[in-house]
Amino acid sequence: MLKSLDINNFRSIRGQIHAPLDANVVLVHGENGAGKTSLLSAVELALTGKVQSLERADPGYEKQLLHRSATQGNVLLRTLAGTSEQSFRAALNAAGAQSIAALDDQRAAFFRERAFLPQSLLGQLLQLYQDAGNDAASPLAQFVAKLLGLDQLDALEAGLKPLADVRNVRKNVDGWLAAENEKSQFDRLLSDQRKTRDGLNEQLRSTVRELATLCTVLELSVKVQDETLDVVAAALSDSNDPKTFAQVTDKQRRLASIRREIDAAQSAINPNAAFTPTGADEASSAFARWEAEYGERVSTLRSRVEDLLPDVSLPSDPEQFAEAAHVRLSTELKQLYDRASQARADIARHTVAQDERDVAQRQRDTIDEEVTRLSKSSGSLGAALAELTSFIADETCPVCDRDFGEVSTVPLGEHIHSKVRMLSASAERLLTLGRTRSEAQVNIERLNREIEAIAARRLGEEALAELDRRLASIKLLINELETINETLREGGRLRSADIAARRAVTQAQSSHVSLASARDTLNDFALSTGAPVLEEGESFEAAAVRLDVLLTSQATRLEERLSMQRRGADQIATIRSLVMRRKEADERISVDFSSWQRVEQALEQAQALREQGNVIRSAVDNVRSAVIRREFNDRLNRVWRDLFVRLAPGEPFVPAFRIPESSTLKLQPKLITEHRDGGDAGGTPGAMLSAGNLNTAALTLFIALHLSVPRELPWLILDDPVQSMDDVHIAQFAALLRTLSKEHGRQVMIAVHDRQLFEYLKLELSPAFPQDSLLTLELSRGPRRDSVCISKRFSFKEETALLVAA
Amino acid sequence: MTGSPLIQAIHDRLCGANYGDLSTPFKVAGVEFAFTGAMRGSDGRSLDLVLLIDTTTGDFGDRDGGRVRQRVEALSRALDVTGSRYVVTVILAGAVLAEGIEALSETCRVLQVESIALDDEGKPADETAVRQLDDRIRVLLPLTLPVPLAEIQDGGGTSIEQLIRALPAGMSMTLVDAVITASSAGEQAVTDAVALMINGAFQPEVGEDQS
Repeated sequence: MLKSLDINNFRSIRGQIHAPLDANVVLVHGENGAGKTSLLSAVELALTGKVQSLERADPGYEKQLLHRSATQGNVLLRTLAGTSEQSFRAALNAAGAQSIAALDDQRAAFFRERAFLPQSLLGQLLQLYQDAGNDAASPLAQFVAKLLGLDQLDALEAGLKPLADVRNVRKNVDGWLAAENEKSQFDRLLSDQRKTRDGLNEQLRSTVRELATLCTVLELSVKVQDETLDVVAAALSDSNDPKTFAQVTDKQRRLASIRREIDAAQSAINPNAAFTPTGADEASSAFARWEAEYGERVSTLRSRVEDLLPDVSLPSDPEQFAEAAHVRLSTELKQLYDRASQARADIARHTVAQDERDVAQRQRDTIDEEVTRLSKSSGSLGAALAELTSFIADETCPVCDRDFGEVSTVPLGEHIHSKVRMLSASAERLLTLGRTRSEAQVNIERLNREIEAIAARRLGEEALAELDRRLASIKLLINELETINETLREGGRLRSADIAARRAVTQAQSSHVSLASARDTLNDFALSTGAPVLEEGESFEAAAVRLDVLLTSQATRLEERLSMQRRGADQIATIRSLVMRRKEADERISVDFSSWQRVEQALEQAQALREQGNVIRSAVDNVRSAVIRREFNDRLNRVWRDLFVRLAPGEPFVPAFRIPESSTLKLQPKLITEHRDGGDAGGTPGAMLSAGNLNTAALTLFIALHLSVPRELPWLILDDPVQSMDDVHIAQFAALLRTLSKEHGRQVMIAVHDRQLFEYLKLELSPAFPQDSLLTLELSRGPRRDSVCISKRFSFKEETALLVAA
Repeated sequence: MTGSPLIQAIHDRLCGANYGDLSTPFKVAGVEFAFTGAMRGSDGRSLDLVLLIDTTTGDFGDRDGGRVRQRVEALSRALDVTGSRYVVTVILAGAVLAEGIEALSETCRVLQVESIALDDEGKPADETAVRQLDDRIRVLLPLTLPVPLAEIQDGGGTSIEQLIRALPAGMSMTLVDAVITASSAGEQAVTDAVALMINGAFQPEVGEDQS
């Protein structure tokens, strides 16, 4: 319960006033401007530290809190709770107010929003009806949202909405899509790798199977497994087969060579039929005859050629000898011929050259003579004289000063000119002579050289004669060679026939021998291969074939074995590589798998978070609908209706909030009117209710809000709320106040300016039971004096007016 | 009392609201006043005086508006003379009176009750009728506030606190705290906070991939 209020220099209250407040109902009366609002604002200031009702009107209100003519002030409010007293105070100075002790934030908020109804709040409530819009920003929606505290829930609901659709999640969460892609990538990768690995496994198994069959065929007793590969490999490579095979191949080759020998021997016998020993004899005798006939001639010829060509070696074969000799002799002939003709020409030339040289020498001598005649210095003399002509003006000679006319009739200048001409002509001639002389000299020298050369190579008469003789003998030889060519050829043929015949004879002899040895060899060979020896009538051919077949079969068998072993070795290598690849594949798989697991985990975590987000959202939904349902539809609307009907019993339409229960994105409340008796809803209150009733609606809304929340502070403070109510309503309102005060334990404080209303309320709110009480405060002030507050207290008085008739 | 069932119904309702009968006629300041019905409240309403006027079939001049006004004014003056603080409320039950009701309102509180559907026993026929009757005289009835049962169940508190209570166990409180903190900043902040947290699940993985 509020106990008392002390105000000092606050707003329009000058000086100090003391107002007791300890009654169930406090009525404050004052004319306009007397300070009613200041009184109530002082209560707010003391309790909450600021005056929000003024703040709504003017954000800079603080400076106006101190009374104009004062320098400092304060407000002090005392409250009583049971027996404990509490003080709330604030100090005032020119800058503003300082709260020294105030309510905690939660209760201060309750006081501001629910317990105290200043004029501005009423106006705000009225504005709710003015604006017909019901979008999120309308005053109504804001009011409702603030009322319900749903704005945070709305933000949660809207903010978590994208989590519902995974596409939105991908848009909003950077890593999600990347992780999903990564995961599917890894999935594909892993399945590919696993497929590969399975393929490898398959291959491996089949190869191992093949190897096992191979080993059984090869009669190896090793078990084929991954671990025993080395043993198997060793077993495969360890056999004697290569050696045996090499041996068999050797034998085969040997057999083949033996067969060749036999064949050769056999075939060598046959063609020799052409060259029987008698044939051979004939050939040799024919050759001997020829030799006897022509041998000597040939040899003499040969010796002659050799004499002529000592430094040439000739083949011994007669035909070839003849040809070579012919060739060499022809060339020699040509050379000699050239030399001879050259020598003759030289001689002729020699004499001619000498004559020419003599002529040239005579020319030179002539030139020399003329040169000596001409003076060398004629050139320069001529130049000097030419210069001199420029100094000659008349006939006076510049040298001797004599008159030239005495000597000649020709003028001096002309004489000098002609002399100059003559001198220059001589100079020219000198030049020409010089040139000619040098030419002649050159000629002479050339000729001299030529003569010397010729002299050097000139052959003497004897030499020339010798050359001629040699030339002639060569010609002769050549002729002879040509004639003998034919015979030589015949001789050569006979000789080769003879040689061939002799060779054939020796061959036939040797082949008999070789055949016998071949048979022996074959027998030895057969023994060595473990086959029976040649039988008596068995031909070479048949025996050879028999042996061949045996050996071939052996060889094929061994070859097979060897190829199997090789295959086995290959397979082992394949198995090893497959095992390694499988291991690699396994490693890669495990690495990728761990990465995949990582991504999977991260995705799961993220998914879990997303799930939780969705859970939060649905919880938000539920809480929201519950809040709406509870706050509005069950409580607020009901109370509001009750209060409104009380105050306006004649009004059939009752205002109410309509809040959609399903969660829409934003709260879209509507103010509607409902018909009192049910039935169809009316329109918005602004259209359905009169102005006075709108006021009533606002007032009752405030009180309904006050009543619908837990009672934190038991005070209801109203600042002149009945401005546009008519009398009817005021009467109901008074009854309501009484109900609130007497039956619901609220301490009601109401300020009015109308005196009649004040008196009426004084009556209406009189104490009705012993504990009840009423205080009236009358405020007044004048322009020059301090404010005054007169209080009067009323207590319960037993009513005795009514006498009941019997 | 009269036989009008409407009056009876009103009377019963007021009895239900702890109003007590005043036997008529009664005397104030030595003057007798007779009305169709009179009741007086109790406890906090002990200064309430309720007069029942039957405008359809009532006696005592109930059917005439002018006469009703005269009588009530007389009572009012008598109460003033004795300095009484009783507050008078007049309930006009039945047909609407012709004129003079506004003038009556200047003297006392006037409530009008037109016909209410009544059943054979004279009680209001159904829920709607009950409510209608209540509506007409609500100002006299006590104010019942909805019992805050639900509050006790959820424990009340701000909507955020209710939300936290409504969440199932085993939720990641970091997520919850993050989004609740972001919710004061608006819808986009919440989306960003959630996206940040979900992204956090990917972050170490990304770091590993890059390393």
